[in-house]
Amino acid sequence: MTIAQLSHVAMEMGVILLSNGAETYRVEESMHRICLALGAKEAEIFVVPTTIIISVTLEEEAPLTRTRRIHSRKIDLTKVSEINHLSRQICFEPTNYKDLLSEIRLIDSIPSYPHYLQVLAFAFISQMFTLFFGGSLVDSCVGFLIGIGIKLQMDIMARFEANVFFTHIVGGLIASTVAVIAAGLEPTTNMNTIIIGSIMTLVPGLAITNSIRDIIAGDYLSGLAKGVEALLIGAAIAAGVAVPLSLLRPFWGG
Amino acid sequence: MNYVSPCLYAFGASLAFAIVFNIPRDKLLLAALGGMLGQLVYVVFQLLITNDVILYLLATIVISLYAEMMARLTKSPTTIYLAVALIPLVPGGGIYYTMLFFINGEIDPGISTGIHTLLISGALAIGIIMVSSSVNLVRKVMLKGVSKIGKKLKHGKDT
Repeated sequence: MTIAQLSHVAMEMGVILLSNGAETYRVEESMHRICLALGAKEAEIFVVPTTIIISVTLEEEAPLTRTRRIHSRKIDLTKVSEINHLSRQICFEPTNYKDLLSEIRLIDSIPSYPHYLQVLAFAFISQMFTLFFGGSLVDSCVGFLIGIGIKLQMDIMARFEANVFFTHIVGGLIASTVAVIAAGLEPTTNMNTIIIGSIMTLVPGLAITNSIRDIIAGDYLSGLAKGVEALLIGAAIAAGVAVPLSLLRPFWGG
Repeated sequence: MNYVSPCLYAFGASLAFAIVFNIPRDKLLLAALGGMLGQLVYVVFQLLITNDVILYLLATIVISLYAEMMARLTKSPTTIYLAVALIPLVPGGGIYYTMLFFINGEIDPGISTGIHTLLISGALAIGIIMVSSSVNLVRKVMLKGVSKIGKKLKHGKDT
């Protein structure tokens, strides 16, 4: 395998890992493992949430450095799991460039859960958490509706490439507007419970987990970046929820 | 009944979150069980401990252990189990009430609720750090031990 092919394969795997929600050390470790397994003498890899830099050295060849900027990130842990598995497999049974590349393509094209199921999952999260925080059955149905609304809103805003914070502000806005209106029309009285339950759909669970795990692993740069992302998302949700609460209250008397 | 229903709701919510995170089909139920386990620990130890920050710490330690164990057993990343199980423990109510107190102009309860929420988040972080670091340490000690034995064996063969 030539140095160009080797770094290409490693880079492709790293990009899939990083853009689907893997921790920084996992990306670095997997890429390093692959490079050494495929015959590199040395491999230096630097990963932050938006960039991958890899520098490979082969025996008697000039070192090659590649950089890739990651623009969009989403969460698909199936792909992370599969690539992780593949990178371990390569260490035991070396394969050729073409097979490896087609296997990576195959993993990259694994479909995620269908869209209607994702919408239902959002609605279900919102409903379950409304019940969890002590809401009644009627409250949970309002939560269900808010969950659907939030998912659809996030999809529409993702299509226009709105930034994460604005998306979450609008999400919080929808949750509290619907809850305040529901409380005003009096099918329910637990406005707070509904709002708390439905904003749980917006909680950046993976960002929190990954930031802590990155910091433990010593990747302070990525850990802090993700931690700040999680904090700002939390603030954005609170800001979004606050606007209708303070504006609509006088009208509905909540 | 009061103890069972929160666990069931946490299970349902974790299951749905597992779908949102696109976790592999065969691991959906295992991941959701983690969410239920955290809540179960919280509810059971509520009878003994009154400080809820400690309760959150305990629950996080248990789910982290569960996540590390399941990751080893099913040969998949720990994050799959940890991120899903952690979500029912995230203090969403605390964030909301902090904000509510502030927009009502009640600064003092706002600050105390805010600090309480921060403490809970800190407990979640510390729980994960404690378990992850000790698991890593144990693994490294075991690996070192194995390689030392290997060296000794090699050495023995050479001489």
